[in-house]
Amino acid sequence: MNNLSDRQLLKELKQRLEAGKNSEKEIKDLTLELQSVSKKLKDSEALKSHFISNISNEIVNPFTSILGLSKAILSVEKHDWKKVVSMVALIHSEAFNLDFQLKNIFVAAKIEAGEIAPNIAKVNIRSLLQTVVDSFNIISRKMGISFDIQFNIEHGFGKNFYFKTDSEKLKLILSNLINNALKYSYKDSKVVISVWLDEDDVLKISVQDFGTGISEKNQQTIFERFKRLDTGINSINRGHGLGLSITKALLDVLSGDIEISSQKGEGSTFTISVPEAKNIVDGFSGEGNDIFFDEEDEIF
Amino acid sequence: MSQYLQHFLYPSSLFVSKEPFLVKTILGSCVAICLWDSRLKIGGINHYMLPHWSGNDLASPKYGNIAIDKLIDKLLFHGSRIEDLQAKIFGGGELMQTGGSRIQIGERNIRVARIMLEERKIPIVASSTGGKRGRKIIFFTDTGEVRHKLLDKKNL
Repeated sequence: MNNLSDRQLLKELKQRLEAGKNSEKEIKDLTLELQSVSKKLKDSEALKSHFISNISNEIVNPFTSILGLSKAILSVEKHDWKKVVSMVALIHSEAFNLDFQLKNIFVAAKIEAGEIAPNIAKVNIRSLLQTVVDSFNIISRKMGISFDIQFNIEHGFGKNFYFKTDSEKLKLILSNLINNALKYSYKDSKVVISVWLDEDDVLKISVQDFGTGISEKNQQTIFERFKRLDTGINSINRGHGLGLSITKALLDVLSGDIEISSQKGEGSTFTISVPEAKNIVDGFSGEGNDIFFDEEDEIF
Repeated sequence: MSQYLQHFLYPSSLFVSKEPFLVKTILGSCVAICLWDSRLKIGGINHYMLPHWSGNDLASPKYGNIAIDKLIDKLLFHGSRIEDLQAKIFGGGELMQTGGSRIQIGERNIRVARIMLEERKIPIVASSTGGKRGRKIIFFTDTGEVRHKLLDKKNL
């Protein structure tokens, strides 16, 4: 091998030093990246355990009450039978809540599995809304909360107003909004539900309560799953929980949207917008096979 | 072609079938990945709207990173081996004129597809991505064939 001149040697050394520096920087960057990934992992682990505690709250608590109450009924003396009525009412409200939560959980699972699609039909909006509101009657009566339904759609065919959308999804969306409104209301107040069409014939339904309200800061985060604004264990009100994130995902399926307006201490109004669905999916089914034999199709 | 069962794939959902299916979907800035198993002759497809799940929403296949993993998992569940899978990716156009300061959604959707498929060593055998127009694709789950058409802007 040739001997290196001093100059060449210096150059070589410089280059190696430079390379060393570069790789050091690379390692630093990678370490940072690793740290951020591990933080994310920790977060998701926390979220998972949060999820489990949430789910068990939502399911185990009602079950415990139902079991306890029915046991109490079994041991009621004959002359005390009047007590039974109130206990049965409690059982009903717990079972109703359980059923509601389970429906939410199953829909959430379906959404997360990517198995959710709109199922469009002509829906009688007035009767759908009435059905949902009626299902909350026992609970709202117990809390002394009345519903005020303002149906502001003029329509030709008597009182009926038909709108093409997915009735099951709309029902669950409304149930969640009403459920939250009741949860966050004070006793002896009311929940106002208004229905109207905007200038573009988009269906608007708002659910307004006069309860605790949501601060502006918290309005940003309430759609996050399992977020409870008041995280204290002893908080009187249960969280918005899964409900709002499901509501949002379902509205996505209906190409709809949701808005909140709320003032801490004065109550909240949630307004959904749902555009009318088209008859069928564009160019798919019902229109013959034209789309399948398109000559402009490229084949990959 | 008429003997095919048909499925319309909505955004945020995914579809895998052992039976021969014809799956149609319409893409704007969304991306659809068609995965096909050359050994079992079965396929699956997803359709996601945004690249990454933030951890706040439901962990649905609305987000690329989730949609890709779920699609692969589902094919593995149907008996596929990862080395038999090949991918075709479509979509990721920029239909909305955004200011340009933010990185464009379509572009980011495509990027997450390429990165995740490379990580999992699934070859991308065909693609049609980017541009300013929407796309209509029809995926045949048994042959892996995709029919593809660019749409006029007004169709979306």
